[in-house]
Amino acid sequence: MIATKSDRMMTAFSWGFITLFAAFCLIPFLLMVSGSLTDEQILINEGYSLLPKGLNFEAYRILLQSGALLRSYGITLFITATGTVLGLLVSASLAYSIANRRNRLRHAISFYVYFTMLFNGGMVPFYILISNWLKLSDTLAALILPLAVQPFLVFLMVSFFRTVPEELEEAGRIDGAGEVRIFIQLVLPISKPILATVGLFYALIYWNDWFMGILFLSEENKFPLQMILRRMVSNLEAAKNLIPSGAGIALQAPTYQIRMATTLVTIGPIVLLYPVLQRYFVKGLTIGSVKG
Amino acid sequence: MGGKTWMRGIGRYPFLYLLALPGVLFVFLFSYVPMYGILIAFKEFNIRKGVLGSPWVGFSNFEFFFTTDKLLLVLRNTVFLNLLFIAATTCCAVLLALLLNEIRVKWFKRTAQSLIFLPYFMSWVVIGMLVQSFLGGMHPTVDGWLESLGIAPLNWYYEAHLWPWILTLIRVWQGAGYMSIIFLAAVTSFPDEIYEAARIDGASRFQMMRRITVPLLVPTISILTILAIGKIFNGDFAMIYAIVGDNSMLYPTTDVIDTYVFRSMRVLNDFGMAAAVGLFQSVMGFIFVVAVNALVKRYSQDSALF
Repeated sequence: MIATKSDRMMTAFSWGFITLFAAFCLIPFLLMVSGSLTDEQILINEGYSLLPKGLNFEAYRILLQSGALLRSYGITLFITATGTVLGLLVSASLAYSIANRRNRLRHAISFYVYFTMLFNGGMVPFYILISNWLKLSDTLAALILPLAVQPFLVFLMVSFFRTVPEELEEAGRIDGAGEVRIFIQLVLPISKPILATVGLFYALIYWNDWFMGILFLSEENKFPLQMILRRMVSNLEAAKNLIPSGAGIALQAPTYQIRMATTLVTIGPIVLLYPVLQRYFVKGLTIGSVKG
Repeated sequence: MGGKTWMRGIGRYPFLYLLALPGVLFVFLFSYVPMYGILIAFKEFNIRKGVLGSPWVGFSNFEFFFTTDKLLLVLRNTVFLNLLFIAATTCCAVLLALLLNEIRVKWFKRTAQSLIFLPYFMSWVVIGMLVQSFLGGMHPTVDGWLESLGIAPLNWYYEAHLWPWILTLIRVWQGAGYMSIIFLAAVTSFPDEIYEAARIDGASRFQMMRRITVPLLVPTISILTILAIGKIFNGDFAMIYAIVGDNSMLYPTTDVIDTYVFRSMRVLNDFGMAAAVGLFQSVMGFIFVVAVNALVKRYSQDSALF
């Protein structure tokens, strides 16, 4: 086929625009990486640049010895792991129950969950519930429990479970399997893709959350990574809290450099897992776009 | 369905109902119990006395709605920012999807998609850190770029009128790639026969895009837009607070209902007033979502939420 002039222009424009937008998306990350490796004085005087000037690894050297950062990393990992497992268990069970035709309450339960997407009590009653009634302030439970059932993810799973052929369950029943065995041994194994998708959604929610932290945490030794970052944004000096006392740092701590290095360390797992994340997210989005 | 058969249904498959129980309890505790707390909006709330023990004050928590123009300001900011976000993100996402669809070189398309999707996975705190690093400090990095273009540098954190646009740009950076993937999924589902027929008739690629792809994409675009408009009273607390924080210089243009409620509660300790604003927002949001859904339903049954 002969490409006309108009078609060639179209292609050129597509390449040009997409390249520019992709660069726009990428540049902040490059500045961050380069900033974490740039000498502190240059950062202060000249700002961030795409290639590190005065290359040094001072910030990473400090962070590696930082007990505070390590503890915070552990807390985030714990919250993410516990939250993902809990969220997945509770949501998958709920979704399977809603999707099952033999559940006579399925419409009622479905509306009960759905209504919370339309109307909520607002921030104030929620805060009072967690801090005054449940007394969960300054506990990690306050960062895990409230996020464990995400209605959107529940319905994502419901639409998947609805596609599970009834014959499968019927066959199981004929073979004498009870409801428990049908769910655990027949339905769950063929649901691995959706469980992976929803699990990653939950992991991302927990890894990136800081709202629960800012509402309910005041003790620094319980801060997850996002809260450490958040404090650095609101207070420039906060970066110094990560410096171990025996690190032999003079008064001139590389604050700006540490801020960038901490940010990079925080997003590290997401970037490393990104190929997997991306694939499952796109899958989840296309399942989700079937309904709702 | 009689009450008896209904009970028998539960009796026959107790496990199905047991499975739903933990989820139902979680939703009850964290979503329905706070609805009871709405009463705080009508009380002079005192933490020691609790919700029931605090005295009723009728609508006096709502009085400030009329005595100051504070609420009007945050309401206006919330709606205006959301409209900017919706318009800018949707336009960019559609354009990205259309142009990505034109690219036939696999590796380039895949790499570009990965790059524009990446910002969506960043937390708002991380984004807030980046914004502060590039716009803040003694010599903001962005000012350096502006200077090399011959534009006078700015003290960004003092220029409130610029921030709706800065926030919009950040929003596009974070969300347009994600949204473009939804559109691209729709575009790839369009039947090939139409394009084949157009090609035989001698249509150029641009003509096919304008006359076939865009019209076919309109339902998806309008549904996503309408759904977004349903949430127009919900300020994005996580985004705004992570980026603007307690920077009061920027409140005139960036303070939204959610950040205002948060501050009233945590800083001023005015729980009654904060609850009143929160209730107003919940009710407005509810009315809007339901109205918007009715609209979608009339337009296309399949796309309605309920």
